[in-house]
Amino acid sequence: MTTDPSPPNPETAGESRLAFNEDWVATILGLALLALVLLGAIPAGLVP
Amino acid sequence: MTADATRTGDEPGTTDATRVDDAPADVAEPSTSPTVVGPAGPTSVVRDGAFWAWTALGLLIVVGLAALTRYLEQNVPAWAEGSAVEDIGAAIEYPVYAILLGLLGNVAVTLLGWRDRIAAAFRTEFFIKTGLVLLGASINLAVIASAAGPAIAQAILLISGVFLFTWWLAGRFGLDDKLRALLASAVSICGVSAAIAAAGAVRARREQLAYTASLVIVFALPSIFILPWLADVFGLSDAVAGAWIGGNIDTTAAVTAAGALAGEEALQIASIVKVTQNALMGVVAVALTAYFTLRVERRPGAARPGLGELWARFPKFVLGFIAASVIATWYLDSTGADGKATIAIVNDLRVWFLILAFVSIGLEVRVASLREAGWRPVAVFASATVFNLALALGLASVLFRNFSA
Repeated sequence: MTTDPSPPNPETAGESRLAFNEDWVATILGLALLALVLLGAIPAGLVP
Repeated sequence: MTADATRTGDEPGTTDATRVDDAPADVAEPSTSPTVVGPAGPTSVVRDGAFWAWTALGLLIVVGLAALTRYLEQNVPAWAEGSAVEDIGAAIEYPVYAILLGLLGNVAVTLLGWRDRIAAAFRTEFFIKTGLVLLGASINLAVIASAAGPAIAQAILLISGVFLFTWWLAGRFGLDDKLRALLASAVSICGVSAAIAAAGAVRARREQLAYTASLVIVFALPSIFILPWLADVFGLSDAVAGAWIGGNIDTTAAVTAAGALAGEEALQIASIVKVTQNALMGVVAVALTAYFTLRVERRPGAARPGLGELWARFPKFVLGFIAASVIATWYLDSTGADGKATIAIVNDLRVWFLILAFVSIGLEVRVASLREAGWRPVAVFASATVFNLALALGLASVLFRNFSA
């Protein structure tokens, strides 16, 4: 088993946060699109 | 990427820190995913005007290839009608066009020298998560409720079995503990997302993350085509085929592509199974954080991760997936048959996001980094994939044998 005395890797830590923020953006965008379709703001002809 | 990941395995007695310091500055140069290494380089991400201009160009390429995919999907069957390739033209579905066009685009932008500059636009994870939230709208809540039990049982057994097998095997091959954690998480849970979560948990180096992401994508690509074909050869029911695909293929985008090729019901079950595995990612990430903090690195005074950490690592799009199903189920109950045409528009939007994700998969592939990293992690990943294949088939056959919504 190896040891790693190096400081935290800022890149991977940052990417982890970015990945989870992306979750919220995807959730909000997906639900917003669903709401727009159900409300009739996005009609069938608008989506090729 | 240098062969750093392999050197870790070659020199089990040495420490990571020595090798990191010795590594050249461009150690992570070939990015596998925009979430791994930004186009500005491995050590700093500069968000200047040029970065945004290149990213906008990349997005234009992704959307252009997606539009071409949609155009081919809608027109090829008509073009092929009456010709010798009529059956093939009718059988090819959008994941095939999207991935092939993505691969062709990959070759083109690599030859032009643009690939790393535009890589930030290849948002596979974002596109697939948005697509999955929209997919929730086409799945009746009753299906999710019926599948939840066997999906959770399968996910727990599969993640535990495959994670422990991969961890053990990688240890036998002499790989570094952090790379073991990344490989085991990627194979057992959900590919690149899990590798990112595990990298944060165990403080892995970015070249290890980039390398694992490469492995995930390179192994996922053939699985997209092989698994639906094998499910057909084995004569699996749609539910078992979906559960097998969802439990076996590592990355969520590839699960969706394979599910789409296997059929709508298989796609729904595959998505539910995969989303369940995604939901358990937080548990594994927290367990890894605790294990590496308290056992491997033994940092003095380190606190045990709590419920806050579990929530921070929970993939929030799972909530969107369930919310979309609840909303659409309520909407269809209220509107009856009239509402189906409206949900069909949501399905078209979903297909667009899935196509964007599949095009991005093709654009992200980078085989060179695997060749440079050596054979040992590849052998571990391949063996773990075969183990995952067999275990997932067994579990899916038992747990989803008599499934009905």
